[in-house]
Amino acid sequence: MTTKHSAVPTTYSPSPTSRSKPSVSKDSIVDWVRPDGRGYRQCRPAFFRTGAVNAASGSAYAEFGNTKVIVSVFGPRESKKAMMYSDVGRLNCNVGFTTFATPIRGQGSDHKEFSSLLHKALEGAIILETFPKTTVDVFALVLESGGSDLPVIISCASVALADAGIMMYDLVAAVSMSCLGKNLVIDPITEEESYQDGSLMITCMPSRYEVTQLTVIGEWSTPEINEAMELCLDACSKLAEIMRSSLKEVVSGSQE
Amino acid sequence: MVGLSVGEKRFIQGGIAQDLRSDGRKRLTYRPIYVETGVIPQANGSARVKMGATDVIACVKAELGRPSPLQPDKGKVAIFVDCSPTAEPTFEGRGAEELSAELSVALQRCLLGGRSGAGAGIDLSSLVITEGKVCWDLYIDGLVVSSDGNLLDALGAAIMAALSNTGIPRVLVAASASPDEEPEVDISDEEYLQFDTSGVPVIVTLTKVGRHYIVDATSEEESQMSSAVSISINRQGHICGLTKRGGAGLDPSIIVDMISVAKHVSEQLMNKLDSEISAAEADEDEL
Repeated sequence: MTTKHSAVPTTYSPSPTSRSKPSVSKDSIVDWVRPDGRGYRQCRPAFFRTGAVNAASGSAYAEFGNTKVIVSVFGPRESKKAMMYSDVGRLNCNVGFTTFATPIRGQGSDHKEFSSLLHKALEGAIILETFPKTTVDVFALVLESGGSDLPVIISCASVALADAGIMMYDLVAAVSMSCLGKNLVIDPITEEESYQDGSLMITCMPSRYEVTQLTVIGEWSTPEINEAMELCLDACSKLAEIMRSSLKEVVSGSQE
Repeated sequence: MVGLSVGEKRFIQGGIAQDLRSDGRKRLTYRPIYVETGVIPQANGSARVKMGATDVIACVKAELGRPSPLQPDKGKVAIFVDCSPTAEPTFEGRGAEELSAELSVALQRCLLGGRSGAGAGIDLSSLVITEGKVCWDLYIDGLVVSSDGNLLDALGAAIMAALSNTGIPRVLVAASASPDEEPEVDISDEEYLQFDTSGVPVIVTLTKVGRHYIVDATSEEESQMSSAVSISINRQGHICGLTKRGGAGLDPSIIVDMISVAKHVSEQLMNKLDSEISAAEADEDEL
């Protein structure tokens, strides 16, 4: 396994040279170390594998450090009877947490808005016209919550949709960033998220260079937002490469 | 739901492209804003905001509660939005649930800031009376009475007006004998503390129709949107929250452009709201 993976990059940190403007955040003054020893611009290793659930039309498992997520995709299948006729397909998203996902049991249910955010992030990428009158269900389950849960769910869901053969314009990659004092850290873990001053999440389609969803929380100045967006977009395009290679791997593996 | 013919759709889109909208406005012009404060006597603060045919009421109630054990030095704020079936028949029963939840989450995100409280429009630590024991719980309820687009901005403005109308009673804490005992509190009927609203941001929603974006879209214009970005900006010109609606993707450079336009628009909106709110308060005092 390890030898096979060595050809594929497993981390997607943005390259430091890509920054055109001088950084607003002072990462040269290291007054603080991240709990897991990463650099401010260093992402956790990402791992994707498709075909995690047999019953689903497509599924994927993602592991980013301690964050572990399973997403299964069902359909396109008949919409519920009560729904009105629609000449484009419907997308139904649901995000659940296992009771043991968080350090305190059952705390994961705090994130009710995740389902609608997942829907918003994905709907722009899926070509809904290809399955009229039907529904595609995307069910995500967070096995272990280790920070940056939503970006991992979105990336994993997009791999699962590709595995199910749903037509998409491009894979959707998601990366989040936390603002801690004057520092911007990418791909925060739970501990960092708990005392962050602000957070920013971008989901984008790297090949089309289009942002499908962007959320910002907390106080940000414009240069900070610009820098964070640039870093996240760069990381997104690298993450999409990892996602793509995980999809290719399955196909080349079955042909052997 | 808005039913529009092909001709009407073309008319709206063409008008926006030529910077002359169906009601005669330019792309970055708001409808007249009307603010009325103190509309609900039982509440600590309330306001009604009308933007064209959009009509919303915000109401602030303060109750004494216990701070959460995780954040003993902070009060609690809860924001809920209710969409009344009087606004639209589809809001009846569970029809409005999704929209209500979306608006509540967006407002929470825009007003309450990050986990550590940075960028929050409402200073949670000012709501504490005795650390770890007693604090104020603020319940902010929004009600959509009539809906003609741009609900989020209207609700944001109404909450801002309601908060500046809010008086929180002064509380006297009796010195308790031991620190374990529940402190005795005495709520004053006469003395009220004016709530500080200097940090409350305004929300500017830019709705993208075709290649252009507009502020204060009516529901007809909203039905033609490809995507909308809501940005909340405070008096310092800092961004306190941003959410995107609508499926279509956006080029990152357009988002950067939108942020700078929103910043410019927010200054005008903030001044307009300030004068409207002070005029409304003066009216209320006269009565």
